[in-house]
Parts: sequence; C-alpha cells; structure tokens
Amino acid sequence: MKAFKFVRPRTCEEASKAVQAESNAILKSGGIDLLDRMKEHVDDPDTVVGLVDAEGLEAIRIEDDGAINIGAKVTLQQLADSEAVQRFLPTLAEAAGLAASPQIRNRATIAGNLAQHTRCGYYRRASFPCVQRGASECPVKQDGAVQDTAGVFDDECVSAHPSSIAPVLGSLEAQIKLRINEVSMFALFDNLWIRRDGKPASHAQLPEGAVIEAIHIPARSEKQYVGFAEIRQKAAFDWALVTCAVRYALDPDGKIGDASVWFGSIAPAPHQSVPAMRALLGQECTDKTIQAAAEASMKNAKPVPGAAYKVKLAKVALKRALEHARGRS
Amino acid sequence: MPRQVTYKVGIENFEKYRKEVEGAVQEITVEVHELDAEPWPVDTPLRHVGHDIPRLDAPAKVTGAAKYTYDINTAGMTYCGFVTSPHAHAIIKKVDASKAESMKGVLGVKTFEGNRATYPGYIAAGVCAESPGILDDALQAIQVDYEVKPGPCTTEDAMKPGAETVDMRGESNVRGGRPMQRGKIDEAFGSADVKVAGEYRTAVQTHSCLEPHGSVVQVNPDGGATVWASTQATSGFARGAFLRGLGVQRNRVRVLTEHMGGGFGSKFGPGSWDAIAAEFAAKTKRPVKMLLSRRMEHLLGGNRPDSIQKLELAGTKDGSFLGIRGETWGTAGNGGRGAGATNTMVYNWPARAMRQNGVNTFSMWGRAFRAPRHPQGSFAMEAIIERYAHEIGMDPLAVRMKNDPHPIRQVQWRIGADRIDWKKNRRKVPGSDKGVVKRGLGCAAARWSQAGRHMSRGGPYTVDIAIDREGNVTVANCVQDIGTGIRTVMAILAAEELGTDPSLINVEVGDSRLKPGPGSGGSTTSPTIGPAVRTACVVAKDSLKALLALEWNVDESKIEWTDGDFVDPAGKRATFPQACSLIGDDGLRVSGQRQRNWTSPYRETAGCQFAQVSVDTETGVITVEKVVAVHDCGRVVDALTARNQVNGGVIQGISYALYEEKQLDRNLGDMVNPTFDTYRIMGMADCPEIDAVMTSVVSGFNNAGMMGLGEPATVPTAAAVANAVFNAIGVEVPELPMTPARVLTALEGKQG
Repeated sequence: MKAFKFVRPRTCEEASKAVQAESNAILKSGGIDLLDRMKEHVDDPDTVVGLVDAEGLEAIRIEDDGAINIGAKVTLQQLADSEAVQRFLPTLAEAAGLAASPQIRNRATIAGNLAQHTRCGYYRRASFPCVQRGASECPVKQDGAVQDTAGVFDDECVSAHPSSIAPVLGSLEAQIKLRINEVSMFALFDNLWIRRDGKPASHAQLPEGAVIEAIHIPARSEKQYVGFAEIRQKAAFDWALVTCAVRYALDPDGKIGDASVWFGSIAPAPHQSVPAMRALLGQECTDKTIQAAAEASMKNAKPVPGAAYKVKLAKVALKRALEHARGRS
Repeated sequence: MPRQVTYKVGIENFEKYRKEVEGAVQEITVEVHELDAEPWPVDTPLRHVGHDIPRLDAPAKVTGAAKYTYDINTAGMTYCGFVTSPHAHAIIKKVDASKAESMKGVLGVKTFEGNRATYPGYIAAGVCAESPGILDDALQAIQVDYEVKPGPCTTEDAMKPGAETVDMRGESNVRGGRPMQRGKIDEAFGSADVKVAGEYRTAVQTHSCLEPHGSVVQVNPDGGATVWASTQATSGFARGAFLRGLGVQRNRVRVLTEHMGGGFGSKFGPGSWDAIAAEFAAKTKRPVKMLLSRRMEHLLGGNRPDSIQKLELAGTKDGSFLGIRGETWGTAGNGGRGAGATNTMVYNWPARAMRQNGVNTFSMWGRAFRAPRHPQGSFAMEAIIERYAHEIGMDPLAVRMKNDPHPIRQVQWRIGADRIDWKKNRRKVPGSDKGVVKRGLGCAAARWSQAGRHMSRGGPYTVDIAIDREGNVTVANCVQDIGTGIRTVMAILAAEELGTDPSLINVEVGDSRLKPGPGSGGSTTSPTIGPAVRTACVVAKDSLKALLALEWNVDESKIEWTDGDFVDPAGKRATFPQACSLIGDDGLRVSGQRQRNWTSPYRETAGCQFAQVSVDTETGVITVEKVVAVHDCGRVVDALTARNQVNGGVIQGISYALYEEKQLDRNLGDMVNPTFDTYRIMGMADCPEIDAVMTSVVSGFNNAGMMGLGEPATVPTAAAVANAVFNAIGVEVPELPMTPARVLTALEGKQG
C-alpha cells in the first residue's frame, strides 16, 4: 500500500473535521475491508482517519422510548453477544453471529460493515475494467466472465453487496446517525447507496465530511415478527450467496399490516423488495402467502446467466426468513 | 555377507477382518545386507514405533519459535517484488521504470522488455528496495505497455481449431497423448451385458500454500551464499537460472529449510522469481527477501490441472468389470503436460483403453499436486462405477470389493463399512429421503505405490548419527520437514533402535550441507529416510560394541543387543548410557546408508474412504457430515502424525470436492478470485467428523516395512463425497467443485 498519514481524532466531531481538512482522507473503523483495498491499490488515500481513539461510539443503548442506539464501533461479536440485541433485535444478533470468522467478528464494526465495498473480483483489481471506475460496460455482463457472484438485477453494475447485516438493518428501518462537524443528523438507510449522479452505488456513499456515529433502530409498539436467512456454501468465513431479512406486524384481524423485506448479496446495494412487501400486506402469513411473496420478490430479476441460480436461492431465502419470523414466538 | 531372512509381512492387528482375507498376512524371504537392520515381522511389539507420539516441533510451531523462510530477517535486509502482466497473452512492448529507478531506497530494477508474456502473472519487471513500502511505491511507479494478443485460457477455447497457440511453432494447443490399451477392449464392450457412459469435469485447483513460494538470498563476503528457501528439496534447490543469478559456485551455496509452510508438490526447484531475487542479492551484496504475494501465489505457485473425462464402462449383470475406455483432456496451462487423469486404477480391469490429451492454455503451468492426476481420475472412475452398480441394482461397495484384487484393501473395505455403518446408513434407493435435506453414503478407493528409494544421482541416501559420552544422540540428513513430520519419524526410529526416548533424540534436517536425502515428493520421504535411520543406528551400535569389547576384553562379535542392553556371553551387561560413557570427547560419528528395496507382495499401498453427506435440495448446499478413512502406509511409525496426514488429505479432498476453483475470466484470462475469501477453501467449521484409521502393514520392502502416505490420503475423498451426493439426491453431479449452482442444475435435470 501507499504510505499514508494516520490521524487519530478523539471525537466524532474531530473525525469529521479531519476528513475534510486532510488531503484525500478516508475513514477507518475496524479496517477489515479498507486495508485489503489499500493493499490492492483500489484505494490510495493520503490520510487515514482512524476512529480507534474516538470516544462515545462503543455502546449499545436502549433509549427511553425503547429505540436502540448502536455505536458505530460496536463489533459484530458484541452485537451477537449482546443480551439486549438478542432480546429486542434477534435477527441482528443472528446475522452478526454468522458473519465472517471469530477473528474478524472481534475486529469488524457495524459501521465498517455497512461501509464495506463489494467483493466483486473485477472491482477489486485495477487491471480489470469496471463501471465503478468509469468503464462503459461491466465485464461481468459479457460472455466468458465469471458471473456466479453477481447480483440478479440488470443494474449498470451487477455486483453483489456483501453485507449480511445491512438487509437486517434495512428490515428494521434503521436510521444512520451521521456527524458532520458539530451537527448530528439522521440519514435514511436507503439513501446510503445512491451515488451523487443518482445511480446505484456498490458501496455506501456518505455526505461530504460525514462520519457514522451510530445506528438507530426505532422502537415499535406492536409485536414484531422478524426473520433472517443466509445461504452460503461454507459454515464460516464465506460470503453469502443470498441473505434475506424480514419484519412484519399483524393487524388485529391477524393479517399482515406492516412488512419489510430486504435482501443482501443480490444487488450492488442492500435490496428492498417492494413487490414482496406488497404481496404480504393484507394477507395472513400462510405458506401460500409466503410463496406468493417469494415469487413477487424475483419478478423483476434479470440475472446474467451465471447468476441465474441465485434467483432460486433468493426465493428460498425469503421463504425461510418468513418461516423463521412466523415461527418465532 | 548378506543373510537370508524369512519373516511374516502383511496387516497388523484387525484379527477379526484379516482372517477373512487370503493374503492379508504372508511369509516372505528377503536378502538383508550385512550392515542393515533386521526387519520387524508383523505384530512385533515395539516400544515407540506405531504409537501416538506428538511431533517433536509442535511446541516450537504453536509458540511461534519455529522460524519459516518468511520469518528470516538478517541485518541489511532488502525486499524484492514484481510488476506482472494482467493479460493472458501479450508482448511486453515497453517498461518505463525511470521513476522507480530514481526513487530513494530503490536498489535495483530489472525489466523484461520484448518478452512474450503467455500467462497472467508473467513478470514484466522486478524491483529490489530498502523496505516493503518503498518497494510497493516503486512497483506502482512502473509503467508497462503491452501489445495484447489473443490468448485462449480455458481448455475448450484452446482446443478450438485456429485458436492462438502457446507454442508459436505448434499448430494446435492439443498435445494428444499416446493411446494406452491393455486387453481386448472391443471384445469386452461387444460382449457386455451393461454399458455405462459419462462425462465428468474437474476445475483447476491451486496449491494455496499458506507460506507462499520464495526465499531469502544472501551472498556472503567470503564468496559463498546462504539461501533460506521454502522448498521441498533443499538438496536440489541451487540450480539453473537461480544459481546463475547468484553467480556463486554451486558447492558454495548452502540451502536451509528448517520449517516449511506447505508445498503439496509445488515447491521443488526455484522459480523465475527466485532467480531475479538471486541477481539482486549478487548485485547489491545484501540479503534479499522475496516471497510471493497471495495473488501471485494463486496465479503462479502451481495448480492441479482441470479435466474433461469421457468414460465408458462395460460389465456383467452380476457386477464383474469387463472393461473401461475413454478420452480425457486437461490443461496445466503453458506446459500442457501432467494434465492426465489416472482413471483406470485400483480395480481389476480385464481390458482398458484410454487416450489422455494435454491442452496448452495461456495460463501458468501446473505443478505436481498431492497425488498428481489421481483425485480427478478417481472422481470420474468411481462415479461411473457408482452408476454401473445402480444400473445393475447391486450395492456399490459389493461391486467394488468384487473387482478389487488387493488383499489389504479387502480388509479395509470391511473395516470402513462397519465404522460408517454402511448397511444401515446407505440409501438403498438413492434420493429416497423425504424432505428438503437428504442424506447419503458413498465410498471410493485409494492407491499409491511408493516404498522409498535407496539412492539418487547424488549417491546413496545416508543418515549421520552422532553420539556423545553423555548418551545424547543426533541423527541428521538434509531431508526437509515439509510439515509432515519426518523429524519425529526419524527420532522415533532412532529411539526404538537405541532403546532411548524419542524426545531425547536431536534431529537435524533441512540443510543442504548434510548428507544426501530425498526431495519430498511422491510420498517418498519417510520410507526413504526411515530405514536409513535404522541402518545408521545398527552401525552406531556396532561401534559401541567395539568399545565394549575393548573394555570387557571379549570378541565384539560375541556382544549382543538384547532388550535395550549390550550383553556378552559371560553375563556382562551395559545399558546404552553405560556404553556411551566409553565414547571419547570427540564423540562417536557414523552413518548408515539406505539399502536397496526388497520385493514385497504388497506392491501398492491400499486405502478406502467412506463419506456421509447431507444435501439441502432447495439451496444445493452440501455438508459432509462424516468421513471414515482407512489407509495403509506400510508400517505405521507414528500413529498420531499418520492420522494427521490422513485428516489433512481428507480435508484437502473435501475442499476440492466442494469449494476450490481457480476462476478465470475467459475473455481476459486473469484470475478473478486470487484471495482466500473469494477462492473458497475449506475451514475448520466445515470439517466433518473424520475417523482416520491406520492399518499398519509390514510391507516387506525395507527393514522398517515403511511406505508413503501423504498422497493416497487425498486420492479418493472427492469421489467418495460425490458418490454420497448421488446416494443422497439420486442424481449425479458430474463436475467438481459441486457448488450450489451445479447441484441445483443437476436436480433440475432430474425433474425435467
């Protein structure tokens, strides 16, 4: 990697200012993904702003209204082990506990997990053409490319977002608490993955000078049914082929009155499935409803040939996540 | 004078099973050299040999005290790295290294302008710098202009008529092998009740050594050189372009490999990268550290060629094989050699006809990989046997046993079947489990043929032994411990022979200055060196007898070694330490030579494995739940390290069956998954219960009865797993690795 200046701010505010003041600066939390990118020269920052000393980012806090605030530096292992997360946000604890390997879970943070870039082999090697680096067309769409790790929608970039935590946070309608200079603000979760030119990004896009301070999960008064399913080949240290996280609540008549369906690893960004949500609303959560939601979720899929099997996997993941949610007492 | 010795050889213990099999124990007569040790017959009780003994260097390895090539840091160290071509095929038109050359701390740049780069990873420039950081900056600053040319990188593309050829003089990339034929193949197929045909494919697997290829090279002020190399052959490493680059006489180069972090057949001679590092070491007169990056390791460090195998089997209705025939294609990249598949092995094939073709592609050449040609051949051969058994409605294990001529494997099939509970756990109707997750059992056979050698062109393999008057023993040979435990094996054999404890034996290996030893390939290391250790100990004891004869004033030929003591006919007795106290301060130093192999009725080692899998039929994800692996390596010297080898072979085999695949973009040729998170390789969490069973077989080849084990342990695993998948889901997945995509495709085909 290129030699860089390492800055260690003491607070989030200082970090925000440092990112703006220093030349070509980049934020580092656990460093799991960033160091890989720097070694491969996918990123060549002049300055790395390390959050290692920044205070106030380590806690999991239950607020008065029942909302849960997760500090940016909370590790995946802490998420998996936290009694509060296990009790109130069980799918988040489950997804975190399944991620990566024990060593990585002890180091990787929730904010870093959201900010990681795609593992697409074409993106990760500067000598390959890549639309994220300005190429006119994605090589993965060409016959002869390795396509099995691609997403299933016909986006300009057909990479797969690697986070299994992100779809869970999406399904819980998490908000991202950002800090820019002295000001804290909330960003909508979806907005994180839209490029300034409006196109889908293959990694989180923070506003200029913004530092993720916390993940905020709003409280809900009615009982929530939540489910998570991850399909991957290996038992540990493997990227998911598909993940799916769901949340729904029932109306007094036993029908689904509020639902959220999110997928990971099938699109450049965490993917919210509006068709699946529509298929659930107003229905009882029967096997038939689940099947209809699974079919609806992949209605718009247009995979490259090598990733066609992921359409089938996505439906299975959704089915399992909903069954998981339904079965949770 | 050589003496005739008649003794019993064959399988030890397992009385219940061996008595059922003719030839499991046999009597043979061999001619034993006068200096050689007496062979141990079957069922000889031994104090150390055959027991569970932890490897001697385990504490050093787990505490980090063991120093690998990567850990070598000497004063004034410099670092060497490379700019490589990303293209399958290109001419290196121009290398602009001016910026790099002018950087502070850059000590040397070597460029390869004009070269024809015929694989991604081809070195366009090498740099030597004061620090890894400066090195990387310099590499980034080098600009290379390539003239990109067509370069088919898959076997199928390279076979197409008119495809660009790797060999510029060649008309085609296909190197047709000589057809092999034994027996009357047409008759066999003409008269067969049943014929089964299939096409099987396997992917390119990279060696993925945890310690990458490389060396630390130091030219010494006295005109010699010291090389710390990650190699499987310290004795032969200083050669070729590497030696020329060093500019040092061969006899002044010392190669050291104290510990080695994985080679699997890929680390014999030096690479082009070592040669460049050697040139820098010669030029700068400073030590140069050069170890490949993970990406380069995947691209260049070697691979197991892929395969396309078309096979046909002919057999009778009642399960007797009549013949096997077919054709295979495989690529090892640029070389195109070694791309065959050994798929007519193990069983009794009355007629065989095979044609094996190597196909050149624009990719780095393959290297020997743990049982070259065998896992891929075993996968296809055992799969078609499985289909044949299914076709005739016979238990596939019964079919295998019916056609298996090896008495030891006949015992092993019985052991394995009981331990996996074959009768109960095999699905009589493949794919008959209800529900989404289906289970099944499969089995396959292993073979290997290696009983060690007595010499190379470097002379007879010789083990030195040094004993001091305190009774401390050192055994030494230049052989390297590549992680498989030869240190421990040498200590156990010396301790057994000298009546002392293995932990008290000092073993020196991995130094080219020591007496000739073998390169560690072909599973030859233990059976080559083990018997020589015994011989050296016999010579040492003869020397001690001579000292005792002087002391006791008796004829030395009258002194016997009995029960760990020296005794003379008059009843005088000396323990080993007592005898050693007669040694002078200059110590006792003798050596023993490996004697020529005898002939044994067990020409091949035998093995078999059974796998139990579960398959999620909605996702195509396969889980291997249990493997029973029954193996023979001649006499087992250390039961613990032997089972350890088998565990490793099984793990590498499952990884091959389910995960590993060098993925190339077939338009661009470069590898898309050159990292350990995207090149899937099996981890601890994926390991099934492995029941490794060693059947110790006194082979009769040498004084210790030893044979090799490293390779056979990985031969049948993928086949056993694939057959278990067939048993679970009722349809064959004919391509490795068996990814979810391929499993789902196979299941769709079944429905459709």
